Amino acid sequence: MANAATHKDREIRQENRMAEENAPMQQSHGPSSGGMRSSGPGGPGGGGRPGGGPGGPAKRGKRNFVRKKKVCRFCVDKADFIDYKKAEILAPFIQERGKILPRRMTGTCARHQRWLTVAIKRAQNIALLPFAAEL
Amino acid sequence: MEERQYDLIFICRPDTPEADIDKLIATLEHTAAEKGAKIESIAKWGRKRMAYRVQKLREGFFVYMVLKSTHGEVVKELERRLKVADPVIKYLTVRLDEELKRQEKLKKHRERRAARRPRKAVPAAPAAPVAPIVPPTEQSAPTA
Repeated sequence: MANAATHKDREIRQENRMAEENAPMQQSHGPSSGGMRSSGPGGPGGGGRPGGGPGGPAKRGKRNFVRKKKVCRFCVDKADFIDYKKAEILAPFIQERGKILPRRMTGTCARHQRWLTVAIKRAQNIALLPFAAEL
Repeated sequence: MEERQYDLIFICRPDTPEADIDKLIATLEHTAAEKGAKIESIAKWGRKRMAYRVQKLREGFFVYMVLKSTHGEVVKELERRLKVADPVIKYLTVRLDEELKRQEKLKKHRERRAARRPRKAVPAAPAAPVAPIVPPTEQSAPTA
């Protein structure tokens, strides 16, 4: 019996991961104001805990969210190098105002975030990405 | 000293005739050759919208080139020329060889790991017979 349970568990986790692969894309399309905030740290139910384990215990009457685990998109693609010339890859990781999105929002891993910031800054210098929103 | 690789991008005013840009590229090639650098490739990206206004212009003609050299003096000279050239509104040189080396290293590391992995993967497979096959395909998502 125990074996079957772990099997199911794993299945669920994989589904979550799959769903997440598409999620950052959707977020980044409209990072303007409302959309980002509501799913941010002050979000409903789940509290500020980032990436709480899937299937955590239900908290009394509160709605029980299964927080999707964010996965670094560059790790999924197995990127060894982030090219500053490909602005369309970098664009989802900046806000409309030109700010670089933090890791806690995009789920990028530490190493790739480090490379990403360098790439974004280079792209900004050669006018491929904006420093700030245009007037 | 080992060879360094640089990316050089410059942006010209959008209204410059292509002949002038070609001429500029030729002079850059010449100076690079003089300083003992190799130009690996040149690509004209053409007119592109810039992310912000530069000298009140919204568009620019982008030219991208890769050069290899054993010393950095070439870059100094090329940048000086770009600064002086009238049609150029922006330029950027990035040294890339160290990052490319790192990329190589990581790639090799991954390949070595991938070669080792099959032995590990075999015992894991029977424990979860159906599930692992599902995730890589995206079509399976809607069934959930």
